Amino acid sequence: MKQSRRRTTLKRQSRRDFLVSAGRGAIAAGAFGAYPLRGWAADPVNIGGLYPVTGSFAQIGQACVNAAKLAVEMVNEAGGIKSLGGAKLNLIISDVQSEPTVTRTETDRLISSNKLSAIHGCYASALTLIASEVAERAKVPLLTGSSSDLLNKGRTYTFTPFARASQFANAQLQMSRLVSDKPKVAVIFENTAFGTATSNGLKEQAPAEGVEIVLFEPYSAGFADAGPLLNKVKASGADMLFSVSYLNDLILIVRTVKQIGLKVGINGGSGGFVVPDFYKNVGALAEGLQGVAHWNHDSDANAQKVNAEYKKRYGEFLFEYGGGLIAQTFMIADALERAQSADPQKVRETLSTLDVSSGYAAMAPGGKVKFGPDGKNIYGHPVGVQWQHGDLASIFPKEDARAPLMKS
Amino acid sequence: MLEIVAQAVINGLLIGGIYALVSIGVTLIFGVIKIVNFAQGEFVMIGMYISFFLFAYLGVDPIISLIVSMPVLFVAGVLIQHFLIRRVLGLNDLPQIFLTFALSLLILNLALMLLTANYRTVHTWYSDEALHISGLYIPVAKLIAFVLAMALSAALWIFLHTTDLGKAMRAAAQKPEVAMLMGINPNRVFCVALGIALALAGAAGSLLMPFYPAYPMVGQVFTLMAFVAVVLGTLGNVVGALIASLMMGVAESLGIQFVGADSGLIVVFLMLLLTLAVRPSGLAGGRAR
Repeated sequence: MKQSRRRTTLKRQSRRDFLVSAGRGAIAAGAFGAYPLRGWAADPVNIGGLYPVTGSFAQIGQACVNAAKLAVEMVNEAGGIKSLGGAKLNLIISDVQSEPTVTRTETDRLISSNKLSAIHGCYASALTLIASEVAERAKVPLLTGSSSDLLNKGRTYTFTPFARASQFANAQLQMSRLVSDKPKVAVIFENTAFGTATSNGLKEQAPAEGVEIVLFEPYSAGFADAGPLLNKVKASGADMLFSVSYLNDLILIVRTVKQIGLKVGINGGSGGFVVPDFYKNVGALAEGLQGVAHWNHDSDANAQKVNAEYKKRYGEFLFEYGGGLIAQTFMIADALERAQSADPQKVRETLSTLDVSSGYAAMAPGGKVKFGPDGKNIYGHPVGVQWQHGDLASIFPKEDARAPLMKS
Repeated sequence: MLEIVAQAVINGLLIGGIYALVSIGVTLIFGVIKIVNFAQGEFVMIGMYISFFLFAYLGVDPIISLIVSMPVLFVAGVLIQHFLIRRVLGLNDLPQIFLTFALSLLILNLALMLLTANYRTVHTWYSDEALHISGLYIPVAKLIAFVLAMALSAALWIFLHTTDLGKAMRAAAQKPEVAMLMGINPNRVFCVALGIALALAGAAGSLLMPFYPAYPMVGQVFTLMAFVAVVLGTLGNVVGALIASLMMGVAESLGIQFVGADSGLIVVFLMLLLTLAVRPSGLAGGRAR
């Protein structure tokens, strides 16, 4: 990696003062045997990937890196960027360690020490918000699957091809009507920024969707026992439970619902609920539980193909963020192709005019990607999913459904 | 209404049994050796992983694996007392505090490195089962844990009150200088005390495993409550810690039911402050037994 970085700097210099340093360039060419004297176009194009490979998001961060690598391999095997003489993508990963402060310095370092055409990252919205600020200042385009609506405010270099947080709440409420015509919903949420923001969205939109919220209860994350909390859910008479929780609490909630014998549908939202690990921990109890995702692996033939390849390599299905990441890489490739340049500002221009409805770049619920002025995919919406036979099946809305609702 | 209260009390008592195993260990160590063991939660975590791996690789039921986790942690306790804690006893408090604190951080980070932050769960036939009695439910796994926790606490009480070693331990807890003059070898007593305390933490881990996921930070869920119970039940008092743990479990459960699920701890700490205002040295009133 160090060598390729030096090579890029040399190349940049020789291009800038070509005549003056022609001689020096030749020496450089000699020093790096493979350096093509004539065909600079075949130089690899650097794209940065910012993911939390260590720290609390480590597990999912590592899975993101796996998906990002697979995506780059796919682009390169298909001939790279043809308008740049078949240039290969070169993925440079940086570990943001699940820490906001580290994210700031790592993003800075990644951008200043490499000539990047685009960046993707960082899985967790809290981290992506910081990285996107840094990228904005450095004028490097950033693509992300993070759902925070703040990413679409006051930014011109950030692109969000998938559903926004505000849309997730709406989809969840509409899904509760699959279970009953006049759903009575209990919302329990951890009292953190994530839990509060998500549940407030649910509360605000519920009346318009004809959903009655019978219990709205914050709880302290990381409890020893879910019993008392679910005692309240039972008393509320709800027929649907929305749990805005991280994995640990969710495992206890699902198990306790079974123990009580509570007859209630569960919608676990997105994030930790729609990853293979959830099923590994909860097992058959997960069957029939609903959630929402910004991407699912059964959406079209391309998604099924990458899912099969990912499964072959890593032994589990391609999770929402990883699948979206593969689509993002192809969006970057498409933008590079049309920009005919690795220059990040030109890539931003072509990303802003991206309009795809086929191929890997269009793997998203609805199958179309086109960015509005706020960097939001104008066709973006979430897909409702259900755990069926150890796998996630798309069940909502009708046009995205790939399997019927499993009654539990 | 009555049913809701009854269910809340049942839930509270059941989880209180687990708090008790952790807090009895902490209070025993404090009573006998006069140090605060900040690493107690990490030993619970080790107990959980022992049971998890025995289940995952050999199919041993977590409850049965008590007979492995308890002896392993007993030996660990003896070694830690003999090679680490013994060296800092008699110095001022700071090295002792930092020793157990460092131990906690070391174990926690080793676990993160070797075992990763993933959640591991064990699924036994009784994990999701519950007894249903006239509208109330009692989860089987928690009931087993509660009964065994009470049995172990009773066994400890009998040990402390009937055996020579147990009496020596109580003597060392009450007046270490006099105990030494009576020919009690303090290091031997301390080794056994720490061994027993860690074995209880290991038992808590094994008993939790059928219904609680294991992960490196899991100890912290239980240590806060354990420390409150130790203070509430009078520092160093085993029976006090047991009763305080059960009370706190019930207070937390009722708090969640009637105050709010994010404020269950308010009731617990209110109870602590009120008790301390009336009885400054805890429920048992300053007697370390």
